Amino acid sequence: MAAPMPVCIPGRKLCKESDTHLPGTGTYTRNGFIYSSLVGTIRETTDESNVKTISVIGKENNSIIPYIDAIVVARVTNVNPRFCKCEILSVGKHHLQDAFRGMIRKEDVRALDRDRIEMHKCFRPGDIIIARVMSLGDAQSYLLTTAENELGVVSALSESGK
Amino acid sequence: MPLDTRRLTGPESSQSPYNFAPVNKLDLTQLDKRPDGRSIKKLRPLFLRTNVVSQARGSSYIEMNETKVICAVYGPREVLRREDFSLKGQLTCDFKFTTFSCRQRRQYQQDSQEKDLSVLVLEALEPAVCLHKYPKSQINIFITVLQHDGSALSAAITCASVALASAGIEMYDLVVASSAAICGSVTLIDPTAQEEDALLKATVKPDNNAGSVTVAFLPSLSQVSAISSDGELSFEILNKSMQECVANCQKLYPVLEHTLVKHQQELEAGRS
Amino acid sequence: MGDAGLSEAEKTFILHSVQDDFREDGRGNEDFRHMELETSLISNTNGSARVRLANTDVLVGVKVQLTPVDPERPEVGRLEFFIDCSANATPAFEGRGGEELGSEISAMLTRAYAFPGAVDFHSLCVLPGQQCWLLYVDVLLLECGGNLFDAVSIAVKAALFNLKIPNVTMTKDEGGVELDLSDDPFDFKRLDVSGAPIIITVNKIGHYHVVDASEKEEECSLARLMLGVTEKGTITAMRKEGSGSLDPNSISDMMEVNTRFLCLPGI
Repeated sequence: MAAPMPVCIPGRKLCKESDTHLPGTGTYTRNGFIYSSLVGTIRETTDESNVKTISVIGKENNSIIPYIDAIVVARVTNVNPRFCKCEILSVGKHHLQDAFRGMIRKEDVRALDRDRIEMHKCFRPGDIIIARVMSLGDAQSYLLTTAENELGVVSALSESGK
Repeated sequence: MPLDTRRLTGPESSQSPYNFAPVNKLDLTQLDKRPDGRSIKKLRPLFLRTNVVSQARGSSYIEMNETKVICAVYGPREVLRREDFSLKGQLTCDFKFTTFSCRQRRQYQQDSQEKDLSVLVLEALEPAVCLHKYPKSQINIFITVLQHDGSALSAAITCASVALASAGIEMYDLVVASSAAICGSVTLIDPTAQEEDALLKATVKPDNNAGSVTVAFLPSLSQVSAISSDGELSFEILNKSMQECVANCQKLYPVLEHTLVKHQQELEAGRS
Repeated sequence: MGDAGLSEAEKTFILHSVQDDFREDGRGNEDFRHMELETSLISNTNGSARVRLANTDVLVGVKVQLTPVDPERPEVGRLEFFIDCSANATPAFEGRGGEELGSEISAMLTRAYAFPGAVDFHSLCVLPGQQCWLLYVDVLLLECGGNLFDAVSIAVKAALFNLKIPNVTMTKDEGGVELDLSDDPFDFKRLDVSGAPIIITVNKIGHYHVVDASEKEEECSLARLMLGVTEKGTITAMRKEGSGSLDPNSISDMMEVNTRFLCLPGI
């Protein structure tokens, strides 16, 4: 095992914020300094122009929630002519402990020929889909879209259930 | 918990045998000799560990001699009730004494004291959590006091902040809390239940200070996130004991730090 | 609290007005609004009072009842607070909406009155070990215009001052003691409220401390300190409220601002 990485806790001052030191994930800035906001190990990444990004890596499967532009895996629960509802099972590579509710509106199913979409021909309850988060949506659910080549249903059962 | 009618309930009105027992009176004139042998300025030893509830996202257990508190953190998860919706993240807290935690048996249902304490814990933690990072979701904190021997509120706040940190919730700082009981010109740090009780029931003369104060502190930002006091106190004494509590919070901070570093190292060891 | 829905510009305006010590309604940072206080309004209560602080309107009724003593404290009477957040005040209180605020206010009042000198608790005990007076202090919020806690506490103190407790005569017979309540409306005793606390809230807006904040000003403040203070200058309950945190020194300053208002409790 490599030498133990330095561990920091929330509120620990890491370094001064400057043009060469930028705050990354798991940090926040206050009064020109970068502080840690997580329990975890410090990671420094340097890009080609010699700018360092300071981030703190906490436990894996971090307390993640769906965010705008994230690719999510979801299961369809309910389909009607105007939209379909689904539950978001994972965000990026991270599996969610508790599912979040999502919704795909009819016009967000595909990019072309939007007027001729028939929802029940696109989705059926139980389908596993890959989608992108469009917006945080309303009080009920996140708004998702499948209008990209890589997105859509990835796993489904036939009508006879096989 | 709803009332279970099949459960054998006691008679409608009953009294604790302790009401008839001779009162274990604390000698309020000789406060420098505390029953557990501590000096008035000394804190009780603090035992803290994380990962005690395997199902929760984060959890911790705290022990200050006979005061024992366990805390679990769940979430961030979806807000189910439409009325509770907000774009900022929400923190909820459920503070409960177990029925057997105190001298008198407590009820299953959350009573008004427990509700009041829940609000106080929330107020202490809210300034420390980066709630804007969790839009549309809520983080639930459940605190159970297993055994109450004084300073339960400060133990709960400290415990909950460690549980939040171990859950990987982004925070500006940890929260450490400490309490003091005041009698006359004497300030007892980290009082036990017996000392708290004695002060509550003491028939002190008017113009005499008697009460208690709890302070929650953000150590690296050096800000007070919550403060609450009971009893009748003069301005000077309250101010002085508040400063003492802040100093004690700073003394406890390394214990929290050590616990969380150990928590992280165990995690890394498990990974590799 | 603080649900006026202010825009950023309005917030900045209030922030600046506080900076210049000249608030929206022409007050300085440490001025109270004009207060109206009435007592003996409701004939069905044993004591009542109404406080109007600009837009804040609070009505308090106290009813007394004989009840068995608390076995843990057999020599004293009890006080019980209940706050009714009527939907008249704001539609947000409809249904269970006001419950949280109500229990917060009653918890603060209970704590502020939980010391032996608040009122003469011993005089509220009719028969030690058996019967005592239980005072139901019921507060009705008629209108919310900021600074509720202070207004409620002043109204409660006034209602307790106004309280008329009927005299009780005791006769001993073979079965025990018989209590006889006086029918004469003029045969009553008063409660000494000189030790009763009132609550003073200091809001931190920007770097300044403001008392008696209006609803708009409350929305601009991230943290406030509430103190129960008595005429003698002692502090009987303290609580920080709001999502912000405070510097220890600024708490001391705020406490000082608080104690400067001690002339007020002498209603």
